Amino acid sequence: MTVEYVDAGEAIDQGILSGKHGTAPPVAADLTYERILNARSEPQNWLTYYGAYNGQRYSSLDQINTENVKRIGPVWMFQSGTSGMIAGASTYAFEAAPIVVDGVMFLSGWDGWAWALDAKTGQEIWRYKHAVPFDVSLCCGNVNRGVAVARGKVFMVTGNAHVIALDATNGRKIWDKTYGDVRAGESATVAPLVVKNMVIVGSSGGEFGVRGHLDAFDLETGDHQWRCYTVPKPGEPGSETWPASGEAWARGGANCWVTGTFDPETNLLYVGTGNPAPDFDGAVREGDNLFTDSIIAVDVDAGQIRWHYQCTPHDVWDYDSIGECILFESEGRKLLGHFDKNGYFFVVDRTNGELVQITPFVDRITWGAITGDGQVTPKVYPDEEGVPVHFYPGPAGAKEWTHASYSPKTELFYVPVQDVGATATRRRREFKESIPYWGAGVNVDLEDMTGSVSAFDANGEERWRWRAKLPMCASTLATGGDLVFAGEPSGELNALDARTGELLWQFQCGSGHHNNPTTYMVDGRQYIAVPVGWGGWAEGFLPGMLGAGHGSALIVFALPE
Amino acid sequence: MTTAQERADLLSKIGLNEQNKAALGSVLGTGNIGQATERADGRLEATIRIRPDELSWDPAILVMPHGGDIELELINDDLNTHCALLPSNGDRKFIWLVNHSRGRATLNLDGPGYYWYSSPTGNDEGRGLTGAIVVLGEVPPEARLDRPDQPRP
Repeated sequence: MTVEYVDAGEAIDQGILSGKHGTAPPVAADLTYERILNARSEPQNWLTYYGAYNGQRYSSLDQINTENVKRIGPVWMFQSGTSGMIAGASTYAFEAAPIVVDGVMFLSGWDGWAWALDAKTGQEIWRYKHAVPFDVSLCCGNVNRGVAVARGKVFMVTGNAHVIALDATNGRKIWDKTYGDVRAGESATVAPLVVKNMVIVGSSGGEFGVRGHLDAFDLETGDHQWRCYTVPKPGEPGSETWPASGEAWARGGANCWVTGTFDPETNLLYVGTGNPAPDFDGAVREGDNLFTDSIIAVDVDAGQIRWHYQCTPHDVWDYDSIGECILFESEGRKLLGHFDKNGYFFVVDRTNGELVQITPFVDRITWGAITGDGQVTPKVYPDEEGVPVHFYPGPAGAKEWTHASYSPKTELFYVPVQDVGATATRRRREFKESIPYWGAGVNVDLEDMTGSVSAFDANGEERWRWRAKLPMCASTLATGGDLVFAGEPSGELNALDARTGELLWQFQCGSGHHNNPTTYMVDGRQYIAVPVGWGGWAEGFLPGMLGAGHGSALIVFALPE
Repeated sequence: MTTAQERADLLSKIGLNEQNKAALGSVLGTGNIGQATERADGRLEATIRIRPDELSWDPAILVMPHGGDIELELINDDLNTHCALLPSNGDRKFIWLVNHSRGRATLNLDGPGYYWYSSPTGNDEGRGLTGAIVVLGEVPPEARLDRPDQPRP
């Protein structure tokens, strides 16, 4: 006798079983380009990745200040964790910059997660989960640096190189475009940037021998607007810096895996580009290898490079220049400040790329030297096959992708510094699509490392230094309360006096910081939002903490009511 | 060193693909392989079963010829209750599968690449109720790099 099956019905969204689901108020509906242009005129919000197009990571909020910061404490926490088998299960980290629009927080996590939260209570309003293939070539780690919000939509990239637009009220997908080739080793981690009617994203994959690019999409329809390759084809400007024969250019790297900044007056997007590939074997790509390791200024309408400044020509140390391009003014000049992985702080004229000053910002630099007028002399580098070479800074750089901040109030930059070396041994290999293409064996030092938060003025003078036991691997946040917030790999969140560097407050968050803290205000109360979750490419920037526990919490601090 | 045929024989001989024989559970990726079928309207469909006392998905590896929507029929022929947490764009899909039950799931997956799914209750995942969905194909032409074809492994 045949027994009828029990009807198990239709599978449902897992989020229905979370006890937390709803609809967000339409706070993003009137979030226009004009509002983002003037983002700092509404300091209660954090409207774009860096807080403003200038990349300063500065908020004028001063309710929490040097006098009372010792009284702040956690007021709510959001946690998600992981379940099942995910890509890069050992490398996920919580890196995003939380975006806040009129009381609603939008942020992304690892493995395709995005959430909308009540910024006052932490209550989850909606969630979105993109299905990220387990076998995607992560470069480097299952991480995502945040979302962009505009015109009622939330924009994010996924590990398999899609850019998607979600309805900001309910998290439902509006459009979805593929902008990278996972079979070629491309992926995506960047926080998108909305400029005018476009959402702009860059590709990841610099360790896989891809050809870097920026892409712009119409934010309403998802229609592709332009692609800007950061390695030229033969015959294009800059191609003379690659071997005339062969296909080194086609595997050249220069990925833009960190969000750019934008100046509406120059109409230029300022973006740092990544390392050349293979990272450490320069003999297969003789020449300067433009536009790797460069600050590029891209016409935001045309998607074309107008000028560039290359920080490390012919890089063989993995010194991406993806670090932020902070826009500021000094003595009537429109300038751009950039702390590079190679250990030097560059200031250039952002109208034309002309060098203004260069200063080392870390104590140990042995790979080479750059003179004040920008002349680069390599000294120590992997060259001979099989011969180990030790150099400072290591391939994670004197500052990783995590960001410096700049206070227009103190006129100081606050940079998280990593002082750690590495040994690279050149090991030539053939290029094969989707296989890591380093050209070396690499060991980052497990001992003799240190770090700091260092304050520099625009002339490159170091004004103070707060010393840490471990390299500092998290973005700093500067506020009008004359505070600098900086997290440590060992879990402490610190508040420093922005004028002196004195440690004023500290809280152990339970997991290391590799993140982008932001600040905002709801109903007259200032909050500091701190994603906490150690991970990412830890073997590259701090292998001495490779065994530290992962976390996945967003902790939000405020003064007592 | 083994050849592919020897691998299948060894799996069976050692008992790596069975419950409580070699290891405690069946080792992931050792079960059957199946392919989704494409209907006239372009949608994909497949059936996945849990057979009695095997604590594994059959097929353990389901292959989709391309990305898009797939309709799954999920059948639990076992004498225990299980469930399924499946990958899909938007949110993961969840379904309880009590003893001798049949349910459905509609998934949307990009590909190329593969995804794990499981029965996330009790001991199910580790014992073998973790399966893979493999999506074949290439990314859209407009997403590919402008460069000459490159060698692959």
